Amino acid sequence: MSQAHSASWKISATAYYKVFFHAAKHPQSSVNGVLLGKEEPSGKINIVDAIPLLHHWTSLSPMMEIGLDLAGRHAESAGLNLVGYYQACERVDDTALAPVGERVAGKVKDGFKDAIAFVIDGEKIGSGEVALIPYVSQGTVWRPFSSGTSAFSPGSNFQLSSPDLPRRAISLVREQGRHKTFGDFDDHLEDVTIDWLRNTACIPSDI
Amino acid sequence: MSLSSALERLATFRTNNTRASQETFEHASVIMKSAQKLGDDGAVPSARRWAVLEQLFLASVDIGRLDVADQCLKQLSERFRDSPRVDVLTGIRMEASESPEVVLRYYDQLLDADPANAAIWKRRISVLRRTGKIEKAVEELSQLLDTFYTDVDGWLELTDIYTTCNQYILALQALSHALVLAPQNPFYVLQFAETAYTAGDLPLALKTFLVVVDMCERDLDSPAQKPPVGISLRAWMGAKLCSRRLMMNSSQSASNTAVPKNLNRIEELATERVLAAYMGQKRDKAVEGKDVVVSWIGAR
Repeated sequence: MSQAHSASWKISATAYYKVFFHAAKHPQSSVNGVLLGKEEPSGKINIVDAIPLLHHWTSLSPMMEIGLDLAGRHAESAGLNLVGYYQACERVDDTALAPVGERVAGKVKDGFKDAIAFVIDGEKIGSGEVALIPYVSQGTVWRPFSSGTSAFSPGSNFQLSSPDLPRRAISLVREQGRHKTFGDFDDHLEDVTIDWLRNTACIPSDI
Repeated sequence: MSLSSALERLATFRTNNTRASQETFEHASVIMKSAQKLGDDGAVPSARRWAVLEQLFLASVDIGRLDVADQCLKQLSERFRDSPRVDVLTGIRMEASESPEVVLRYYDQLLDADPANAAIWKRRISVLRRTGKIEKAVEELSQLLDTFYTDVDGWLELTDIYTTCNQYILALQALSHALVLAPQNPFYVLQFAETAYTAGDLPLALKTFLVVVDMCERDLDSPAQKPPVGISLRAWMGAKLCSRRLMMNSSQSASNTAVPKNLNRIEELATERVLAAYMGQKRDKAVEGKDVVVSWIGAR
């Protein structure tokens, strides 16, 4: 069991901002997407990017399957793997990885053994703390990651590329409205000019 | 932002039932400020002012500005005493800060006085669902729909509850009532197709995706010449997915829907239509993600 927890994950600014923008754009719906990254020889997993999938309804599978397939192809062409899944629930106090989340995260795990899932913590998202709750799989069941240290604190298996990401993400949303032009696969299916795979325009130029 | 443009924007939100809470909050705050400055019937006619106030109230609760919400609610309840509509707003405000038990007690009182108050009954059901009493919520929602059969939102809520519990066949049944009541809405048909796919009924899903296409494209002049837009692209992608899977292996249909005889032709057409959406430029913006779609299309 402890063997499965020996991996460590580092989340880049781009990945964190995208997950944050996706949740901020649809506060009253559940949203989900996948995380792209690479495993270093040391075993550390760098989560370098995120691809947002759905916000209309997240418990139906056809567009999820297509979106996941397309995101996987995009990752491959960028030399990356699908390494994780994220979701935000409709209600702020709901931080369960819904059955759908387990299924999709399971699919990601089929292609990447140290796959991780994050549920966005609605209570913390506006607070400047890291608003991500990590889930790891034990067989087919996914459980909140637990170890001696809480996630994202010093010494934890989860780190951000810079500690100021949560605060900066909030200001990018509140002061610059960066989330407004952010688009996911659902948006893209309504307007194919929406760049759901990259969302380049939302990311500040200094990162 | 001018007063008239803010009023217009909010009127559009009201008509379309748009829940853009942050934007509503900003527009409505501008309007309420000028209304105060110009006096009651100055720039904002009184009927509109109350509508805006209600909008501002709901948006404030949504974005957590309970102080503003309380001010709005105070004005509304002074103006409209004993209004069932204000009772609903009071309940919504309570839901934001009170425990579910207190809120349910409040709704029970109102329902005792008027058992046919559908708006309160629906709030009550939403609280039950939110607090995890799913069975009770389903039971009450079914009773409500027995009484108010034409409530499309009620059927959609029941659909959503069943879907999140992985009860896809029951979800399809509930959704089919919404389709009967609102047959002109292709979005519900799309949801039906995607639910059928999730339930594993591929022939039914394929058929329904094609119904969506028909609804979206039948009134266009020569639709074959134009790339699919809006939800018809989504429906074509769904049709492609279903026909491809049906060609690979036969599939059971719980609804006994037949697999079309000309499946190959449907698959070819779906391929052509999806690619059409990704070819060429759209106005001055490039179409995004063409490469991955082309490779998905080609994959077997």
